[in-house]
Amino acid sequence: MADIQHYSHDTGWKNTILRGLLYLVLTLFAIYYLFPLFVMISTSLKSLSEIREGSLISLPRVITFDAWTYAWNEACVGVECSGIKIYFWNSVKMAVPAVLISTFLGAINGYALTKWRFKGANIVFALLLFGCFIPFQVVLLPMSMVLGKLGLASSTSGLVLVHVVYGLCFTTLFFRNYYVSIPDELVKAATIDGAGFFTIFWRIILPISTPIIVVSVIWQFTQIWNDFLFGASFASGDNAPMTVALNNIVNTTTGVKQYNVDMATALLTGLPTLLVYVLAGKYFVRGLTAGSVKG
Amino acid sequence: MASLTLDKVRKAYGPVEVLKEINIAIEDGEFLVLVGPSGCGKSTLLNLIAGLEGSSGGEIRIGDRVINDVHPKDRNIAMVFQSYALYPNMTVRKNITFGLEIRGVSNEDRDKAVADVAKLLQIEPLLDRKPSQLSGGQRQRVAMGRALVRDPDIFLFDEPLSNLDAKLRVDMRTEIKKLHQRLGSTIVYVTHDQIEAMTLASRIAVMKDGILQQFDTPQNIYERPNNIFVAGFIGSPSMNFINATLINDNGRLAVSIKRDNDPIVLPLKDAPESYQAYIGKDVVFGIRPEGLTHKRTGSDAPDSQYVNFDCKVEVIEPTGADTMTVVEIGGKEIVARVRPDRAPHPGEVMTFSADMSQISLFDPATELRI
Ligand SMILES: Nc1ncnc2c1ncn2[C@@H]1O[C@H](COP(=O)(O)OP(=O)(O)OP(=O)(O)O)[C@@H](O)[C@H]1O
Ligand SMILES: [Mg+2]
Repeated sequence: MADIQHYSHDTGWKNTILRGLLYLVLTLFAIYYLFPLFVMISTSLKSLSEIREGSLISLPRVITFDAWTYAWNEACVGVECSGIKIYFWNSVKMAVPAVLISTFLGAINGYALTKWRFKGANIVFALLLFGCFIPFQVVLLPMSMVLGKLGLASSTSGLVLVHVVYGLCFTTLFFRNYYVSIPDELVKAATIDGAGFFTIFWRIILPISTPIIVVSVIWQFTQIWNDFLFGASFASGDNAPMTVALNNIVNTTTGVKQYNVDMATALLTGLPTLLVYVLAGKYFVRGLTAGSVKG
Repeated sequence: MASLTLDKVRKAYGPVEVLKEINIAIEDGEFLVLVGPSGCGKSTLLNLIAGLEGSSGGEIRIGDRVINDVHPKDRNIAMVFQSYALYPNMTVRKNITFGLEIRGVSNEDRDKAVADVAKLLQIEPLLDRKPSQLSGGQRQRVAMGRALVRDPDIFLFDEPLSNLDAKLRVDMRTEIKKLHQRLGSTIVYVTHDQIEAMTLASRIAVMKDGILQQFDTPQNIYERPNNIFVAGFIGSPSMNFINATLINDNGRLAVSIKRDNDPIVLPLKDAPESYQAYIGKDVVFGIRPEGLTHKRTGSDAPDSQYVNFDCKVEVIEPTGADTMTVVEIGGKEIVARVRPDRAPHPGEVMTFSADMSQISLFDPATELRI
């Protein structure tokens, strides 16, 4: 430590310039990314008349939440004009079960693949891994056929199933990589203590999985909440998730373009994932690196 | 408590044979140490006994019960792992009672059992801590506690001390020995540290490449090693091996070691019958450092067990108690153990005394004891 400080004294001005440059670049990037957000927020807080008069980047003269309440309660999706709120709840009803189920199944998969190495475990894992690389579009048609056969077409349950199946590859990968770094001896000790597959899972493995559960939940929640393709393909009308509804509101061709409502709706749609990041983001980063640091 | 018998036990992973026909039998209350270099199959053998791996052949018995197909939890064994494998999310108390809880032992009995074990191992103040809040030595104790609380037929230890620092290792070694003497339990203990093996064991099984090299009491293994590997593995500094020829020296058997000017001839004492077949042939002459010392009193008597010879000293390494003196004989560096006050200077020629009652001869081709 002392050495480093000494060193930085010698080349102090050089360091300061480099540091200044670094901050400049970082600030530019931050502005680049934050500017659209700023425009969205400020626009959503303006009245329609103000938008028409003022410029895009000006701050609202009078802050009004009318656009937000309108978006939530009254915006028209197609012919239905009762706001985005029912679609928000659709998304919740889809995302929460899908996230929980896929995370849970991923945990069990990862546990079985690492701690109960059955014959062919590697092949199963390789196939699951392969699933991560299949693009959404490829599975659309077969998936809709399967959903039709199961009688789940155009329903929230159907969407949950789709997201669980598609997310399983990722959650399994997360949990497998995390569990690989947990010593096998833990499971051996518990086996001798008399615990079976599920007892060990519930009592020993799951309680030490918090970091990776956080990772899996954030990842899955973001993926599922933001998904548009599956939502648009497999759920229609009243069952559509928020992203699909947002698209319908924004793309409405009739009437005056209500930019403030569009912005408010978009922000409402993005808010849950943003919230999850703010609340658990630091665990996300920590969890992603946890396995490798533990060694 | 019970006896343990391994009868022609084998283990293969696919085509790779990891254990080959292991035969070991110990009595009730014995302390068996499995020792050998890394990768020789010690842990595998322990896992077979524990039932964590299935054997590929042979029979494992605890008492009279064949346990090959018995689930680990029903074998009535307890195991201490090298990494201790404490459950990180549970307190020490929970760690110790987890097995009892799974087995449906009542709350009161569990509390009593924990109290007893904690007292025995002096971990009472630690009971409500998590493993991450313990030092290495304390973790080791908790791991022992988890095994002890079950009162099993057999304890299995897989290198329980290898994660501790040198001083703590010696302390814990003594404690394990005390514990064994107090409880009288049957123990199978894996280590690659030959000193641990010598100090703890009632019997030692030396292994190499999945083959049992020797299974005997520590003293017998030390004095009468079956082959060059065992002889070199047990004892520190390890046994000296010198290429020599067995000769008949005026009616007495002797080993003759080639030297530039004149050979060293060391007459054997109480040569067994088996030596006869090797007269005139090459042998490997094995002698431990403590068998080679400075000149001893009475070593000039004709039937003495001590034989003198002169040799030039290359290097000396004082250890405090003894001075390890390195000489070169037969093209090899040989270590002698000399009392510090008799220690020579490098380059000096000194008279050494070989204790011929404590030597081993090996066949150079088979490396087996003659
Ligand atoms: N699952 C496995 N598949 C294939 N080979 C294995 C497997 N497990 C162990 N082995 C091999 O079996 C041999 C014995 O392993 P084992 O763990 O018993 O060694 P060890 O004597 O305990 O060594 P150490 O002192 O390093 O712990 C090693 O050569 C190892 O590579
Ligand atoms: Mg081992």
